[in-house]
Amino acid sequence: MSSLNDVAGPQQRQFNPYTENGGTILAIAGTDFSVIAGDTRQSEGYNIQTRYAPKVFRLTDRAVLAVNGFAADGNMFVKKVKQRLEWYRHAHAKDMPLHAIARLIQTMLYARRFFPYYVYNILGGIEDDGSGAVYSFDPVGSYERETCRAAGAAQSLVQPFLDNQIYFKNQQPAPGTSFPAHLPLPIVLKLVIDSFTGATERHIEVGDGLEMYVVLAKGRDLSGLEGIVGLQELSTKSDGERIFVIRRELKKD
Amino acid sequence: MSIMEYNGGSVIAMVGKGCVAIGSDLRLGNQALTVATNFEKVFPVTDRIYLGMSGLATDVVTLREQFRFRVNMYTIKEERDIEPEAFAHLVSSTLYERRFGPYFIEPVMAGLWKTQKGEHKPYIAAADLIGCLNFAKDFVVAGTASEKLFGVAEGLWEPDLEPEDLFETISQTLLNGVDRDAFSGWGAIIHVITPDKVITRTLKGRMD
Amino acid sequence: MECSFALTGKDYVIVAADTTAARSIVKMKGDEDKIKTLGPHLLMAYSGEPGDTVQFAEYVERNIRLYQIRNLYPLRPASAASWIRRSLADSLRSRSPYSVNLLLGGYDTAAQTPSLYWIDYLGTIATVPFACHGYGSYFALSLLDRYHNPEGSLEEGLETLKRCIDEVAKRLVVSPGKYKVKVVDKDGIREIEL
Repeated sequence: MSSLNDVAGPQQRQFNPYTENGGTILAIAGTDFSVIAGDTRQSEGYNIQTRYAPKVFRLTDRAVLAVNGFAADGNMFVKKVKQRLEWYRHAHAKDMPLHAIARLIQTMLYARRFFPYYVYNILGGIEDDGSGAVYSFDPVGSYERETCRAAGAAQSLVQPFLDNQIYFKNQQPAPGTSFPAHLPLPIVLKLVIDSFTGATERHIEVGDGLEMYVVLAKGRDLSGLEGIVGLQELSTKSDGERIFVIRRELKKD
Repeated sequence: MSIMEYNGGSVIAMVGKGCVAIGSDLRLGNQALTVATNFEKVFPVTDRIYLGMSGLATDVVTLREQFRFRVNMYTIKEERDIEPEAFAHLVSSTLYERRFGPYFIEPVMAGLWKTQKGEHKPYIAAADLIGCLNFAKDFVVAGTASEKLFGVAEGLWEPDLEPEDLFETISQTLLNGVDRDAFSGWGAIIHVITPDKVITRTLKGRMD
Repeated sequence: MECSFALTGKDYVIVAADTTAARSIVKMKGDEDKIKTLGPHLLMAYSGEPGDTVQFAEYVERNIRLYQIRNLYPLRPASAASWIRRSLADSLRSRSPYSVNLLLGGYDTAAQTPSLYWIDYLGTIATVPFACHGYGSYFALSLLDRYHNPEGSLEEGLETLKRCIDEVAKRLVVSPGKYKVKVVDKDGIREIEL
């Protein structure tokens, strides 16, 4: 027996219930659509656990939730939100409105105030009035409706780029004109792809694949989505809001 | 808190078509307290080389003086201006001299070098605080907003920008980058180095 | 706690420093002059580690004086500031660094401009329109942001200084009682009773 143990202080052990699984998510709202995106790499430290672990989930025909942070918590949280939405459907025979989902997520997160889900949430979709909306949350439920938001490992890389390109920060409109409050869908998709290729280039935890969910308001045509390769529809009805997913490869190094 | 973040501040350099640009923010702070809003971190070395430094402000000034002295000695001995590549290695060795008690700065260099045919080719480089050089083909960044600058620059920069377009690109990158950093900002200064002149402009920025 | 302020105006610099000399919780002295006259047009307020302050201030004072004796003209403020900063920067990486913070106010008689330098113990230097050291800065800097006028008359400058001193007296728990105020302009240096 080592005598060192006798002089050393009390031995302490600790279990850390959290880990950080990298990746980045992003959502942008348009006038009558919303784009919610995330990369598909899941890592722990320098290890890549998988190159395809979705972080973006369809909740209803008009709501998409992106979760980022501790993947186990994220998956569990999405499962619980989906369960609550199903109960709502059974009770009310309709899908929960987006703003109500946002408030639900707040309550669910705050309910775990002292053992939080270690997850940053971004909820995107279509509001009752047909407008595109993005809600962003912190791990304990503080939330806000915004036009665009990035979260996760590359938040610091992507958010200032979005400030510049979506909010036109530090830019001056040409005399007699003003900047649009919302951008058209093709431009938004281009910006999302640029954001993720940029983040992939400079952040080791971002890459492998990109999933972009597009939610279109009720009655909106598919303009802006025509000619997009690999476009897949996920909606259950064709007369309500419609959801599509676009998948792209990202660099794998 | 890290020594590198004690005073705050950020620097960036970019390559253009036959030109380079370099710029910094203007804040000098003591942790969260802003002390001055006119603290430039980019200095001329020759007519065609500029050096930017982010990090501990006292070392920024000390090394500016040190490099001025060493470049002057080089100019006298060689009877010619120093070229960017030689200067980058001068910076590197000056920092490595203090390998085990470093100056707490990260240098960023931008310059034009003359080819045998007499053309001017862009050159940019950065280094860590002990002088490990990083020659980049596109852009280099340093300072408390470096992550943000990487993100914006990766999105905005493209090859072969003309001087005025390069100025706009570096300005937008710097301003939007530092606006998401509490330790950098309060305006910026940009130098665009072209073969026949240097365009210097001071930019206004958010004051929070 | 130690507080020093300085501000520039039209063709002058005001430098003010509290007059308490304290050791731990004990006030040893209430009329200490912590602003050195380094030349005919140069003032230096110093604060920091007791012992280091006076030692370093006298070292600076004598070297600046030596320059004047050797060259028959004094160092201009910018050069003096540069030399003092370098002394602190070199000291920082020595075996026993000085812990001294300075406000250097001067009037450049050749360029006919007032100048003020904020220097801390690390050797950080900033050319500023107004400056503070010590806990006073947390109260005074915002006031100076609001009220400082670089083109203001001496009366206006003193009025602004008084605002700062009064605010510190009102809000800082361990505020100093009295201040010494000195002004440097084209006519040289003089002390002012507030």
